[in-house]
Amino acid sequence: MAVETEAKAKKGLLGAGLAFEGLRQLAGLALIFLAAIFLSPRARDNGAIIFLTQANLTDIVRQVSENGIIAIGMTFVILTGGIDLSVGSMLALSSTFAAKLLVQWPTTGDWTSHIAIIIGLTLILASTFGALMGLAISKLKVQPFIITLAGMIGLRGFARFLTDNANIDIGFGVDITAAFSNSISQKPVVMLTFALLAIIFFVILSRTVFGLQVRSIGDNPTASRFAGLPVTRTMIITYAISGFLVGIAGVLHAAQNHQGNPNDGVSYELDAIAAVVIGGTNMSGGKGTIFGTIVGVFILGVITNMFRLKGVDINVEMMCKAVIIVLAVWLQMPRARA
Amino acid sequence: MKRRTFAAIALILTAALSATAAGKKLVIFSQCNNGEPYRAAQNASFKALWAQDKNVTLQILDAQQDNSRQISQIETAIRLKPDLLIVAPNERGPLSEVMGKAKAAGIPVICLERDIENYDNFTTWIMSDNYAIGKLVGQYIVDYLTKKYGEPKGKIVDLRGLLGVEGEVKREAGAFDVLKDYPNIVKVQEAVANWMQSNARDRMTEILRAQPEIDVVYGHNDPMAVGGYIAAKALGREKQMIFIGVDGLNGVGGGIEQVKDGILAVTFVYPPCTNKAYEIGEKLMNDKTFVPEKQYQVESSIVTPDIAKKIYKAK
Repeated sequence: MAVETEAKAKKGLLGAGLAFEGLRQLAGLALIFLAAIFLSPRARDNGAIIFLTQANLTDIVRQVSENGIIAIGMTFVILTGGIDLSVGSMLALSSTFAAKLLVQWPTTGDWTSHIAIIIGLTLILASTFGALMGLAISKLKVQPFIITLAGMIGLRGFARFLTDNANIDIGFGVDITAAFSNSISQKPVVMLTFALLAIIFFVILSRTVFGLQVRSIGDNPTASRFAGLPVTRTMIITYAISGFLVGIAGVLHAAQNHQGNPNDGVSYELDAIAAVVIGGTNMSGGKGTIFGTIVGVFILGVITNMFRLKGVDINVEMMCKAVIIVLAVWLQMPRARA
Repeated sequence: MKRRTFAAIALILTAALSATAAGKKLVIFSQCNNGEPYRAAQNASFKALWAQDKNVTLQILDAQQDNSRQISQIETAIRLKPDLLIVAPNERGPLSEVMGKAKAAGIPVICLERDIENYDNFTTWIMSDNYAIGKLVGQYIVDYLTKKYGEPKGKIVDLRGLLGVEGEVKREAGAFDVLKDYPNIVKVQEAVANWMQSNARDRMTEILRAQPEIDVVYGHNDPMAVGGYIAAKALGREKQMIFIGVDGLNGVGGGIEQVKDGILAVTFVYPPCTNKAYEIGEKLMNDKTFVPEKQYQVESSIVTPDIAKKIYKAK
């Protein structure tokens, strides 16, 4: 009885809290946005606020898009009470894999379908590795931290092994690699991909049974198992989603950097986790939204842009970000517990 | 509410840490990685040089050895429309496009030290030739061994930097293109120590166990040569061989001090290229009629113990 009331009360709080929290994060972003406007240098020719120029604002969207796409997957993973430390290595692997195929796999049909197949194979590879980690986590009952730590090490090794530790430069000259990087590195393509994925996974998380299962498992894994939820399947799909999204980020990364680099993506997992927690997702799972994560991604992106426009030393930027992460999470804690 | 007010104040305070002076010329230097001593020396040199021109504000962006970050930083720098952009590119492929965008936006772009894929994407390239330095090293080894044995023969250990990096490739090729004409000078062993002193010490310890006779240890940078020395000293063998480095930074802990103190036999200066970049940069900003060369090469020089004693400065 007592448990039931508590659960009800919790649910009520959770529901109201979620709506409220979305507003709170937006308020945080608005505040930082205002600060960025206020502190932005003026263009020296016409006095325009540089931060607000269309070019700069779209730069920000482009710059956060890789982290944003990774953070969407990370939100699902953290909602199940897990963590995915392998995303940086997975990004390196997918960008290297795509670049290697582009350079070494002879074109058979037309370039567009060839590129589409290569992207498809890359996404299958990344999703498969993600699914394998999900399987290991739920079947072997080893903590996600350990499994994805192993993934982080192993996938990095695999990426380096694939290229013999070298970088594969692509997109210089007139060939299929140039067609790939010139089309996919376009600013609108990158921004649209990010926006589309955010909408799709927003819907999946908030409007589907699968989304509900993800949150339930994070909220109470044991109860979910007893209640007959397909825990193993949900975990596999969750980590596969994370892998899939990192695969997309990896393809964008390769195109934008004109390179498959097995040493790239170091500490990307931390950027993604930072965005997720700033966005209000609870590290122990169960509570959080894609909307919050996207806001978190932009909070970090706008702060970075603000500091760069001011020419602030990157070490100072890092220290400030540390403060902001703690501050943002502290501000979002339920009032009652504060 | 208190919490949020507090947060707002904290935020604005942290963000307001630096202010850009109005009306001055803006020079932005995009540095690929402040974490290496050579690059820290470049930054210090640029700061000192542009402090001479009161009409210039210098901003240094540190990409922390991350291509994506350097691309983003330059992208944002373009929005500031600086009067001069200097880029020490992290890698030649990834940085090529964004430097082209800066140039297309009408900003003079100096490419510093490493090159990029597309030479149309910078205004001028100020560099030093690692291959030429490698050749100087090779010739020094030949002369040293000829003096030691009366003929060019001997055993070399090669401590290499991060494989595939331009500096590593050329410092290796330059030296061994000279040495390949001397069949009695043999490389008995090589190890990849990724430019790091600690790695070089470990690899050199292994090599010393395997090789009873070594005449010359060639470290592709000074820290690796010093790492080799430390390993040899631990086994009491440092007097049996000489240690050669490259970079020749001045100041405490730099290669010039190591030569002065007899740890390295000799080092070869890999010039930071900053003096030349300052000279050309000032001309580009102030003289509209100035048309720079496409490329400027800054020469290396040898630092022997005598020279080291003369030019060493603690600071």
